[in-house]
Amino acid sequence: MIPEFEYAIYVWSSYGIFAVVIAWQIVQPVLYRRRLMAELREELALQSGDYNDPNS
Amino acid sequence: MSLAALPALLARDLRLAVRHGGESLMPLFFLFAVLILVPLGVGPGPNLLASIAPGMVWVAALLASLLALENLFRPDFEDGTLEQWWLGHLPVTGLVLIRLLSHWLITGLPVIIFAPLAAQMLYLPDQALGVLLLSLLIGTPILSLVGGLAAALTLGTNRGSVLLSILVFPLVVPVLIFATGAVSAAADGFSPRAHLGLLAALLVLALTLVPLAISAALRLNIE
Amino acid sequence: MIWKTIKVGFHRLGSPASFYRFSTLVSPWLWAGFALCTAIGIYYALYVVPPDYQQSDSFRILYVHVPSAWQAMAGYVVMSILAAIALIWRIRMTEIMAMMCAPIGAAFTAICLATGSIWGRPMWGTWWEWDARLTSMLVLLFIYLGIMGLYAAFDDRRKGARVACILILVGLVNIPIIHFSVEWWTTLHQGKTIRIFGESSMHYSMMPPLIWMTIAVKLMFGAALLDRSRNELLTQDRRKGWVQKKLKSQGVS
Repeated sequence: MIPEFEYAIYVWSSYGIFAVVIAWQIVQPVLYRRRLMAELREELALQSGDYNDPNS
Repeated sequence: MSLAALPALLARDLRLAVRHGGESLMPLFFLFAVLILVPLGVGPGPNLLASIAPGMVWVAALLASLLALENLFRPDFEDGTLEQWWLGHLPVTGLVLIRLLSHWLITGLPVIIFAPLAAQMLYLPDQALGVLLLSLLIGTPILSLVGGLAAALTLGTNRGSVLLSILVFPLVVPVLIFATGAVSAAADGFSPRAHLGLLAALLVLALTLVPLAISAALRLNIE
Repeated sequence: MIWKTIKVGFHRLGSPASFYRFSTLVSPWLWAGFALCTAIGIYYALYVVPPDYQQSDSFRILYVHVPSAWQAMAGYVVMSILAAIALIWRIRMTEIMAMMCAPIGAAFTAICLATGSIWGRPMWGTWWEWDARLTSMLVLLFIYLGIMGLYAAFDDRRKGARVACILILVGLVNIPIIHFSVEWWTTLHQGKTIRIFGESSMHYSMMPPLIWMTIAVKLMFGAALLDRSRNELLTQDRRKGWVQKKLKSQGVS
């Protein structure tokens, strides 16, 4: 399945770096958005008064 | 429009620098600290020192010019003098150039004056000395211009100094390359003209564009 | 008539709420296009294209190295155009988008440097060479990082964005230096082998994966840019009416 190259380590590590960096570019906005939305949800709950304080 | 106020600003800046005394001698101390530490660090072999001499003098010049950048516009920004630049009748780019000229006179010129001594300490070949001085003469104004730009950009931030050096570093790389290239070429007996020509082109480019960018950046920061 | 529709549509994109809707709608399609093009490109690059007679299989690194390098530079040009628009017409959306170009561009520059270094090891026998192209690419990375740092250092996001826009325009001088570095100086890095106009010195059988990967990377840049800009917009406008209204109407998702 996976082709075997003469310079396998070099080729695969290059593609690996590409994959990792691109994956981070995809994941970062998603994670950021999730955190932001949680914050906004909390703020909205605080405003409307139905905020369940986890510490109480 | 009277431009008589421009020399007055220059005189004020220089007088302030002189009265601060020790502070304005810092670039020189710094230059010599670097030049003394290098032979101790890499070993005092004349061949090695001669080959790294242009780079060392230039790095010292670069660091010396970085030293005084933090306070290039900041005191004027904090006491509101900077806003007066826009209220007065003088062209702001002119004021910016004057301020950069005083920065160069304080940090660049001493380095150039003491460069022959530094060159001797690092065993730079004699035929390269003239080129070293010429490259410093063309190159250090670019350092002041680029540094001034970085200082203007970081003016509104509260942790300017680290950011300042990060901004200056990529922009002065070409200067460092061409300047040390010229000196090395001369030391090896080749013609340094191509490098010096490119360096002069950089100076012209910086001199035309950077004052505009600096005044735009200052303007944004005082808004 | 059509021209007018385009113009109105463009102006409408300047409004945060419409931009938010537009980016939510468009970015999944760009991601899908990216996935498709990458799949085809990588399939061709690793299975179909025959080994090079001089470089054997190591040239396959080209298919991630070159598109990233192109995108690192193209991303800077896009960022500069956005920055110029932001400074001249003071459109807030372009300020945000220009700022969000920087981390993506920095990522591509990093890919380019890393894969180039890995490629250099078997071909040139060294990880790094201080030649003109490599150095100018490294400088590009630091300019990107400087822009990000400058933007992050300001408490006032809008002021930070405008000041960073000036830096973007100043750093633009580096782009022609990178592009022509292999022609102006004799370097270890090979010269231009791929041309859009005229004869490429690359064999045509090697071209398809490169084209697919280049398109893929462009789509990815656009998608990531829209996603990041949307997030940044939401962060900045969290107290504004349109965000609050959106949150209340659709619940918080």
